[in-house]
Amino acid sequence: MSIFEYNGSALVAMVGKNCFAIASDRRLGVQLQTIATDFQKIYKIHDKLFIGLSGLGTDAQTLYQRLVFRHKLYQLREERDMKPETFASLVSAILYEKRFGPYFCQPVIAGLGAEDKPFICTMDSIGAKELAKDFVVAGTASESLYGACESMFKPDMEPEELFETISQALLSSVDRDCLSGWGGHVYVVTPTEVTERILKGRMD
Amino acid sequence: MSKVAVDIPPKGGFSFDLCRRNEMLTKKGAQSPSFLKTGTTIVGLIFQDGVILGADTRATEGPIVADKNCEKIHYMAPNIYCCGAGTAADTEAVTDMVSSQLQLHRYHTGRESRVVTALTMLKSHLFNYQGHVQAALVLGGVDVTGPHLHTIYPHGSTDTLPFATMGSGSLAAMAIFESKYHEGLSRDEGIKLVAEAICSGIFNDLGSGSNVDICVITKGHKDYLRNHMLPNPRTYVSSQGYTFPKKTEVLLTKITPLREMVEVTEGGDVMEE
Amino acid sequence: MMKIDFSGLESAVLRSCPNSELFDGISTTPSFQIPSTTDFDGFQKEAIQMVKPAKGTTTLAFIFKEGVMVAADSRASMGGYISSQSVKKIIEINPYMLGTMAGGAADCQFWHRNLGIKCRLHELANKRRISVTGASKLLANILYSYRGMGLSVGTMIAGWDEKGPGLYYVDSEGGRLKGTRFSVGSGSPYAYGVLDNGYRYDMSVEEAAELARRAIYHATFRDGASGGVASVYYVGPEGWKKLSGDDVGELHYMYYPVEPTAVEQEMTEVSVA
Repeated sequence: MSIFEYNGSALVAMVGKNCFAIASDRRLGVQLQTIATDFQKIYKIHDKLFIGLSGLGTDAQTLYQRLVFRHKLYQLREERDMKPETFASLVSAILYEKRFGPYFCQPVIAGLGAEDKPFICTMDSIGAKELAKDFVVAGTASESLYGACESMFKPDMEPEELFETISQALLSSVDRDCLSGWGGHVYVVTPTEVTERILKGRMD
Repeated sequence: MSKVAVDIPPKGGFSFDLCRRNEMLTKKGAQSPSFLKTGTTIVGLIFQDGVILGADTRATEGPIVADKNCEKIHYMAPNIYCCGAGTAADTEAVTDMVSSQLQLHRYHTGRESRVVTALTMLKSHLFNYQGHVQAALVLGGVDVTGPHLHTIYPHGSTDTLPFATMGSGSLAAMAIFESKYHEGLSRDEGIKLVAEAICSGIFNDLGSGSNVDICVITKGHKDYLRNHMLPNPRTYVSSQGYTFPKKTEVLLTKITPLREMVEVTEGGDVMEE
Repeated sequence: MMKIDFSGLESAVLRSCPNSELFDGISTTPSFQIPSTTDFDGFQKEAIQMVKPAKGTTTLAFIFKEGVMVAADSRASMGGYISSQSVKKIIEINPYMLGTMAGGAADCQFWHRNLGIKCRLHELANKRRISVTGASKLLANILYSYRGMGLSVGTMIAGWDEKGPGLYYVDSEGGRLKGTRFSVGSGSPYAYGVLDNGYRYDMSVEEAAELARRAIYHATFRDGASGGVASVYYVGPEGWKKLSGDDVGELHYMYYPVEPTAVEQEMTEVSVA
């Protein structure tokens, strides 16, 4: 068993027209045993920047706390929020610092940058950035997610359609994974509002 | 100076504090993770007035193609570029670190960076880590002493060559170079030969794929030809895409409107005393 | 003339490939060909690792006043991947006897079919149906003869014979237990919890079916490797009957209905005047 499969997770982010969506499953397990079905995997950094952390739960939470700390220091020093590109480089640097003893975490970053241009990116556990124009995935259901997104995604979707697409991609993928699922959690972010939705999914 | 209790952002260098824990987890049976790799074809050659570098654009994670169009030709200096193969994080980090050192060096000396400088910095870093920083590089550039092409291996050894290939597709690419390379290639011939070598890697090596990136460096000028060739376009996508007749069932919705950024005009009104 | 079938006790495997012409296909225990290797144990160990049987199941059976209730989920998984959500884990051996499937799917299916043959032969030879005790012993003896050779079977034999309801647990380690309440598979701890809590001997068929269904549902909720459809069978004096097969995806929201809440609108902070 890989250490990434200890807690189980599914994460996906997609780009739409002047908006983005980021979604996760809600399960926290210890291998095959389901411990919680309302576990938070997507964290808000600021209004227009979100990070999803897949992999080992303990490392995800530690990493999140360090990121919040570094982001607050940045806010104090610069008196502004971080751009998604800057934040991605910060995450990458923090992960690469532990190149020879990594956090067992694969992050997914999604945000609205300058002129509300959507930005998504993922990394491996040692901070190799993978910038994508369409969608990124992570977690134990990543292989199913690649397939689902590859066929369902289309460019320049409006927020409503983007929500429908990301939700269907997530739900159909976690139905093929033992270690993730038990509902879904979706954020759709446009320049004017953030919509957070809890999805109804299979509970097995 | 008073000691601060919180953990201050470190100045740099690796941190080994999770190594013991991770080793313990490995001993208990947890497999250590696989990293993003660029099972790559990267090449470079010297032509009559400079250097041409080439790379494919596939990044893999085990058997999965993680990125179909990644960038493997990294910027080092305005006149120097570097192709990277191996663990993606390592190639990215090592080229970024050296390019920042080169920039500082240029600020200090006010002169154009030399390729040998970059070469020495890269090889000494890689040698220090005894092959644990898994980066195999093809370094090319044109400086005051002319065009240069080098390969650097993960353990820190280097070669200086008129044409070079690296990565898992290096044999396929080298086959093309060995049969067709000659001295004094023109720019167009050079680009064509590099593209052919990369295509050979793309089609014959499973670790390489997608598109061809090329970078042509000549004296005082460079052309970064991102996606110079797209030999593998998508063929299987439906023009309508998917539509979902049944709406996704939602249990809870929360909408948070975002505040408009307030424009602050400074120096407008004079403050009253 | 009565004849006891000892074929299950013969050490069939270590006998080097018998000439199949001499033995009639039904009366002999099927034997495997032995691989040509010096390190047989090592080979077996490796072979088992290569075709790791699909694990992760919840099956249960219990005896009550009216007969035996048998229930199971329907998920098949390979590691973390769900390979099927519609597996038939309750095997119908004959109209009066059921077997459940946990462990290796192929092992269970094959040996239950084999058991079905043996039971039918017993019936023809003795002009009466085989007892559950006898059938379970036939299976246990076969499994014991292959002990330590890589079979993976965890099964319950449930049926109705001359003495009334019968229930046995048989596994590939050679164990055979008589009892009134069993659950097998990775979800069994959760199923036992519900079962032990709600069990009474004098339940009606409806009550017992609901208890079995609920136990399977709760196991699928907590256990990642169980899911799909909760099917419930009842074995009474008239033989077995399938009572229900419910998708646990819908079962959850039937047991715990949730109403979609109205859209929560967070108030906009009034911008500073």
